[in-house]
Amino acid sequence: MMDNPYVPYIGRLVDIQPLGTGIKLFRFQFDDAQLADQFDYRPGQFAFVSAFGVGEAPFGITSVRGVDDTIDFAVAKVGTVTRALHEMRPGDRVGLRGPMGNWFPLDEIKGKNVIFLGGGIGGAPLRPVITSILHDRDSYGDMTILWAARNPNLLVFTSEYDTWRQAPRTQLHLTVDEGDAGWSGNVGLITQLLQQVKPSPDNACVIICGPPIMIHFAILELQKMGFASEQIITTLEAKMKCGIGKCGRCNVGEKYVCLHGPVFTHSEIKDFLESFV
Amino acid sequence: MNFVTHTQLREWLGGLMAERSVIAPQRLQPDLVVYRAVDSTDEIAFDFGRAALSPKEFFLPATEAILTIERVRQLIAGDDGEAQPDWQIRLTDHELTRDQVLFAIRPCDAHALTALDALLLKEPVDAYYARRRQRTSLIGLACAQMGPTCFCTSLGFTPDDRQGMDVMLYTVEGGYALEVLTEKGQAVTAGLQSTPYSERLPEREWPPAQISVPPRSVWLNAFNDPYWGELADRCLSCKICAYVCPTCRCFDVRDYTVAQAPGYQKIERLRCWDACMADGYRRIAGGHNPRPEKAQRLRNRFYCKFEYYPADFGPLACVGCGRCIDNCPVNVDITEVLDAVRARS
Repeated sequence: MMDNPYVPYIGRLVDIQPLGTGIKLFRFQFDDAQLADQFDYRPGQFAFVSAFGVGEAPFGITSVRGVDDTIDFAVAKVGTVTRALHEMRPGDRVGLRGPMGNWFPLDEIKGKNVIFLGGGIGGAPLRPVITSILHDRDSYGDMTILWAARNPNLLVFTSEYDTWRQAPRTQLHLTVDEGDAGWSGNVGLITQLLQQVKPSPDNACVIICGPPIMIHFAILELQKMGFASEQIITTLEAKMKCGIGKCGRCNVGEKYVCLHGPVFTHSEIKDFLESFV
Repeated sequence: MNFVTHTQLREWLGGLMAERSVIAPQRLQPDLVVYRAVDSTDEIAFDFGRAALSPKEFFLPATEAILTIERVRQLIAGDDGEAQPDWQIRLTDHELTRDQVLFAIRPCDAHALTALDALLLKEPVDAYYARRRQRTSLIGLACAQMGPTCFCTSLGFTPDDRQGMDVMLYTVEGGYALEVLTEKGQAVTAGLQSTPYSERLPEREWPPAQISVPPRSVWLNAFNDPYWGELADRCLSCKICAYVCPTCRCFDVRDYTVAQAPGYQKIERLRCWDACMADGYRRIAGGHNPRPEKAQRLRNRFYCKFEYYPADFGPLACVGCGRCIDNCPVNVDITEVLDAVRARS
């Protein structure tokens, strides 16, 4: 059955943690421990998770191979499959197909300053990149993390903020569209935060993930600040049914998000015939 | 090349039915011929033009169960020693059990399979499509003439093209000229009684190309043209063009529970045809839709066929069968679209 890419691997959700309002972190472990060794994935790749009887959907993998011993997904409750996942309890069985798609160019950006722009659940696919850099800190320049959400309860991976802040040559800046009683930090869009922090484009690259409209305006702002297209890397989200280029759903012009992406540089995106927004 | 009489052909097809599924054109109504699995050669329509539907469904069915999933509750000892329910998952893949013979496939529909192969047999291979392709022999039947909406010659094909066939038949005086083209064709014709055909096939003059596919530069220029909005005004998003298209292959995948009892659930994971014309086709959970306008979706159909598919996989995703022209309730004509795009260069 393993020559059939539509047949999922079986495993359990060994741990489920709340990440924010309507967002949970799911930790997956294969029933067959050998598969864990074979499941070779890199930051930026995604996988399909099956809630059997409800369906399957693609999610960016938030864990890092060799660092985490589970395959993790941060999932916002927004549709039928995600609702079913949110109702699950530790020990429940799900299916997994993957890893799929390309990955962030971690080797190519060695030696550079890395700026992250994460919006809401869009922070999920950035987390493994940040974690990877923290585990190989000397190979990279300064790391500047700009992390945004609609409100403070939607900021993801809050439990890692202290680790990020304490890491050498690493800054974390937070902002929310709308604060609440307990919030004393920045209020405003990530583009405003970007203007405040004003990272230099010299020897730098930016990695963005968030809602399409955020990616669009963040790129405009970065261009104004002097960042060139090849310095801007993003990852796109699309409706998918197969993850392997067959079902036809995720095309943006002649590019398939699952086959050619999900990670694209702005050099590629600006030549897209069809808008990704 | 060999010669077979109509009687020899029928005897051979009848004999194949013992061990294989034979799919052949069947006349359901005076003007409606479709491919169906047949049990007797009496059910076969030997004299027909182009079937209303392509045989795509025998390789990529309109709905197929790709996986049977069973959830079975067992009791296991928990951390506290108490018995706890544990749901085991059993997966059953769906294999094809019999070889298939597809009789009287037309050249355009065989070209469509070649186009689908370029995508579905590319790594990672689509297992379900590949199994059906592998276990099916294609017995081609050359067209006697082009139908009123056929335009295969405009795309560089001919109505008697044998490309992609395992065996090719040409209607000649008193029977058929038969050409075996592949090993699969040799195997399937092993029991066929025939005599050598020494004559030359009559040279055919096919109607010349009426239209041509514009080059890439023209497509790139026409992308934001108001034409797509004007064309979409009358489109009903009914998706019939995609369903009758021999190369449209977009699909949806969903789980359906088919049986349930205490401690047991049986689910079928179904794959169904879908079409990029549907409003919610690209809408993601949370509501964002990157292709919200009908004009954008209709445009995608034609760009996929003539621009994206060739760029990504090689062949055009159109073979000139004309079925979308026959079936569109508001007369969107793919040949007129090609002309209109060219006129915008």
